[in-house]
Amino acid sequence: MSNLAIDIKNVVKRYEEHVAVRDLSLQVPVGSVYGLLGPNGAGKTTTIRMILDIILPDAGSISIFGEPNTRARVLDRVGYLPEERGLYKKMQVRRVLLFLAELKGLRPSVAGPRIDEWLERFSLSGGDRNWGDAKVDELSRGMQQKVQFIATLLHDPDLVILDEPFSGLDPINAQALKDAVLELKRRGKTVIFSTHIMDNAEKMCDSVCIISRGEKVLDGTVAGVKAEAGARNVAVSLAGGAHNGAGDVLRDTQLVRKVDDNNNYFECELAPNADAQVLLHRLIQAGARIDRFELMQPSLHQIFLQRVGAQGVETGMSGNG
Amino acid sequence: MDKLLTVAKREYLERVRSRWFILSTLGVPALMTAIFAISVVVSSKSSATTNVRHIAILDASGAGLGQRVANTLQADSSLRGAAADSIRPRVQVVTMAGLAQAESAATAEVKQPNHIVGYLALTDSTLSGVSARYAGRNASSITDIDKLGSVLRQEVMMARLEREGLKQDIVGDLARNRLRLESERLTESGRGGSGIAGVAVGFGIGIILFMSILIHGQNVMRGVLEEKTTRVAEVVISSVKPETLLGGKVLGVGAVGLTQQIAWVGISLYLINFVAPILLKGSPIASAATSAAGGAASPITTALGGLSIMLGVVALAYFLIGFAFYATLYAAAGSMVNSEQEAQQAAVPVMLLAMSTWLLVNPVMLNPTGTLATVLSWLPWSSPIIMPMRMGLTTVSPISIVGSMVVAIIGTIGAVWLSARIYRVGMLMYGKKPSFAEVAKWIRYA
Repeated sequence: MSNLAIDIKNVVKRYEEHVAVRDLSLQVPVGSVYGLLGPNGAGKTTTIRMILDIILPDAGSISIFGEPNTRARVLDRVGYLPEERGLYKKMQVRRVLLFLAELKGLRPSVAGPRIDEWLERFSLSGGDRNWGDAKVDELSRGMQQKVQFIATLLHDPDLVILDEPFSGLDPINAQALKDAVLELKRRGKTVIFSTHIMDNAEKMCDSVCIISRGEKVLDGTVAGVKAEAGARNVAVSLAGGAHNGAGDVLRDTQLVRKVDDNNNYFECELAPNADAQVLLHRLIQAGARIDRFELMQPSLHQIFLQRVGAQGVETGMSGNG
Repeated sequence: MDKLLTVAKREYLERVRSRWFILSTLGVPALMTAIFAISVVVSSKSSATTNVRHIAILDASGAGLGQRVANTLQADSSLRGAAADSIRPRVQVVTMAGLAQAESAATAEVKQPNHIVGYLALTDSTLSGVSARYAGRNASSITDIDKLGSVLRQEVMMARLEREGLKQDIVGDLARNRLRLESERLTESGRGGSGIAGVAVGFGIGIILFMSILIHGQNVMRGVLEEKTTRVAEVVISSVKPETLLGGKVLGVGAVGLTQQIAWVGISLYLINFVAPILLKGSPIASAATSAAGGAASPITTALGGLSIMLGVVALAYFLIGFAFYATLYAAAGSMVNSEQEAQQAAVPVMLLAMSTWLLVNPVMLNPTGTLATVLSWLPWSSPIIMPMRMGLTTVSPISIVGSMVVAIIGTIGAVWLSARIYRVGMLMYGKKPSFAEVAKWIRYA
């Protein structure tokens, strides 16, 4: 039995005019929260659709929990929230949920009580109106999003794949989604989500993979990725500003390659081979009063910009990630 | 397999629950019953009325022709009107010279209310078969005038035969001639029903199959389009294979179509059985109808007697094959596009295939054993409509039926294969409507 939730090996997907995914390999450990990051048109949605056997790769193999993803029973263990949300508009909410649960192999007798539970949890029932009996198109957009999310989790999947889950969510629902993802992780489930909002990924993910133009740029644990990028930035905050010798120290190109005055603090990128301890020592020697001296790891956002850069963002692509 | 049934079940239940389904399932039999009722009423109105008795006959023939006509009209039992009404037309023997005056007197009488309805003027040329005149309020009633004309013609002939020396009772005997030409279809396997019934059954089966295949085929297309435009397809396809979704949809909608047709036939028969006795009571065709039908059977069920069980089973099988063939092609058309208008365009090739069959129905009916009919009953897109039609019209060997069905099934498998490939790609393809070249690429890549 593999301890990988997903194992993608050398997957290629070509379309008429371009290559959507180029020789992509990645591994997602069981029980982790995994971020699939990349600019629009990088191939995120194509990758996710290939994982779910919605589209077939031209080459390579994909397995889920150690089994080929073409097996129906393995896909029953997966919950999927697509980027483009949609439900049967003229159908009763409860019937839609029951239908989607049955497609995942859940028996109606099991699905029924669970639907009640979930509707109550998302305050879609128990209030002034039981929305479970309403037709989907009577629901507000926010409610429809909740129903779609319930549909993703109703069959208690071991692997949850969320494509751009934060798009279109207000801050309250975004917070609720974060909580839900972390609860899934606590329960030992694996969660993969794609996003181009690095903040969310940085806060929630154990591991990430950044892809650009269908190719993997880097992957690994968030800590590992950051460590590899190196902690070469220092935040320095000086009482009274950079006067006297302190300013000279910060301008010493032997020590500091670049200073970014952020008004409240200076963000210094250390020169190659320079040591942060030497910088601290020199500043004290110069008589500066130090309010803050912090070794900053680069944010995922910075790593992303640095590694992907403007060149990675193609324009005029399908927009399907 | 479970998932296929889940998809089919949703499709079936959602459609059967819809207001449209309930309305059309109840509405069509109501309409059928109304059409039946109207046709019964109209046909009962198609016999002459007792008005033809309320006339004056101005007889200037000089041969007692007026009396003969009056006798026959009085004795005629087929006239419609109050049953007790057995008035005898008033016969007024006049000379040719006095005819004009008698006519103007009669005209004045017709103009007054509650007098005679009209007058019949018999001249000296009437007996030689040249002419007679009728004037009256009911002169525009085709049935009344026909009745008067036929009675008059018959009496003229009888009077002339008697004048030629035939005895009166012989003439009466000879004139009693109610010959009806009965036609019967003769085939290699023996006799089967009347010829006219065969045409009606053949055409009826053809049109029912054609309409229901197209209507429910288009329902499949709309369903596919809905799943695509609401984007629900992606969630579903992440759980089941696109082929399963397509198959389940076709199965579910097909079951809806079957349910509706069974309901239509059942409710229509029930309503007509219920309505028929009320409508037919007291009408002249009632006795004929009840004696012909005998006991529980209604006039309609006897009319359907020409439709054998074998033909019913074959027609049903062809409905399923033809529906599967067209529905999957419609589904492919629906999956290629993003709106109802575009869908209508994309469905044009499918529609042309169906229409080409329909346009050739007439030549097939005229010559059901000809080359055209034979070829069309072997082509997979036309055989589901043409073959059951031909079976109604003529005898087709069982080997041909089985053979054509096998060809149609193979054709349907081909259509499913083709449609599934277009569907697989098309369902996730948004944006502009693809060209035929692009669709051809989908088929190769999928």
